Amino acid sequence: MLQKFINKYFMYSKRFKQGNLQYPQIWRYWELLNVLVSRNLKVRYRGSLLGVYWSLLNPLIMTGLYTAIFGAAFASYYNNSITNYVLAAFTGLVVMNFFSASTSQALASIVGNGAILNKIRLPVSIFPVSIIAANVFQFAVGVLPLLALITLIKSKSLVNLLALLLPCIALVLVCTGIGFLVSALYVFFRDLPYFYELVVFMLLLSSPIFYPADIVPKQIKPFLLLNPLSPIIESLRQISLEAILPDLSLIWGALLSSIVIISLGWIVFHLCRHKFMDLL
Amino acid sequence: MEVIRLAQVSLWRRTQEEFSYDLKKTVLSILQGKYRQPAKNLVLDTIDLVVNSGEKIGIIGANGSGKSTLLKIICGILQPTSGKVRVRGHIAPLIELGAGFDPEISVEDNILLYGVLLGFSRAQMRERTLTILEFSELQDYALVPVKALSSGMVARLGFAIATDVQPDILILDEVLSVGDESFKNKCQQRINKFWSANATILVVSHDLGFIEKSCDQVLWLDKGQLKFIGKSQEAIVHYLSTVKFGGK
Repeated sequence: MLQKFINKYFMYSKRFKQGNLQYPQIWRYWELLNVLVSRNLKVRYRGSLLGVYWSLLNPLIMTGLYTAIFGAAFASYYNNSITNYVLAAFTGLVVMNFFSASTSQALASIVGNGAILNKIRLPVSIFPVSIIAANVFQFAVGVLPLLALITLIKSKSLVNLLALLLPCIALVLVCTGIGFLVSALYVFFRDLPYFYELVVFMLLLSSPIFYPADIVPKQIKPFLLLNPLSPIIESLRQISLEAILPDLSLIWGALLSSIVIISLGWIVFHLCRHKFMDLL
Repeated sequence: MEVIRLAQVSLWRRTQEEFSYDLKKTVLSILQGKYRQPAKNLVLDTIDLVVNSGEKIGIIGANGSGKSTLLKIICGILQPTSGKVRVRGHIAPLIELGAGFDPEISVEDNILLYGVLLGFSRAQMRERTLTILEFSELQDYALVPVKALSSGMVARLGFAIATDVQPDILILDEVLSVGDESFKNKCQQRINKFWSANATILVVSHDLGFIEKSCDQVLWLDKGQLKFIGKSQEAIVHYLSTVKFGGK
């Protein structure tokens, strides 16, 4: 394996010196990512006034809705404060929203670009990655400033503000991993979106977004730990809503599970990559 | 100098009709023990080919004989099932121009997008935007979304982007018929310029007269096998004799 990698490296460096490669593969990947992300964003927000801020509107409206319906009933779990419920629901929804939007879009990305892949030589992984990257950009300008503001007000600590980035990174890694997985599977199974919709809905219900984790029966709780979004949501809430320093064990939990997921996604993607072209 | 080398290249492809494309059915068939590996076709059969720099190669053969597939292997779009492919230099694949365009964004943005997809950098493409607009005669449309252009204009734009830089290897799938008469002339001139310069050219065509006139060497493919490679006249005679034989 290592030997193969070293050989490959020498091959590239040799070719590069001969001037046959115009520039290194990583740079090409970066250039591709740039044009594809800006294409995604332009197509998505052409002609809409609110532009990128649509992405903020969705979790805000959902938070309002959940608060109106469940707020009063669950307030006792949140120190009898509706505000706390609003913040908890909002932080959970932001994570869930990012996950469902980015992975559902990534799912169709390879099949949707099948025509291009049949005409031009491209690294296939660029398509799911560019979808995730476009969503990250949208998150960074829309939701993240609001989260940062909440963190500053609630924790009054710059450490927490910086630590806020860690669960966000974990979230991006999880979404990239799942994006690899579903985009590859969709090439083979074109009825996947129906199943995936169900999976996303199960994840939404099984993560403590709009209900307190305490109401879940003890026998069921271990199953909820399987949800890869739960550690991220918990860590994000701990950092942004509590007036104490970030809990490192929560952060590690989130990062570790996200690394596992992105590795799994990448391995599956890589193993079936060579079969894609016959089916596009 | 050798620019393209195919050594014992074979390609098996899955036949699309065989495939269920269906998670539910696949899971069921595995549970019932009826699952079987999808059938595969041999599309290219142990092809050996060496192309030196500056050679003009024509590829002929019946429909479905693997001509376009061979070009895709050379472009690196498809990976061979077995065998080795080595290509040196920048390839300009003129296969269905404009497949990389996004109809929703402007002509200028599409120049950037398509150029980067073809392997140039954004900086290079920004420098070239003006000459590309000029050549495709679309200066007045720079900010118009591509979906508002006529199909001829889109083809012109695709051709202008793909051929703005002199490529080392030019790949033509079917002789180009892009846009109106005046633009066709312009394309022809540009292709002729590449032709007389030291570019390596591979062209797939059913226009045997054109192939005979303009290619040094002709490659005849039949059902994925390389039947003949050599002087264009000879290859065409061989090809035509089998066609007539088949017609009897």
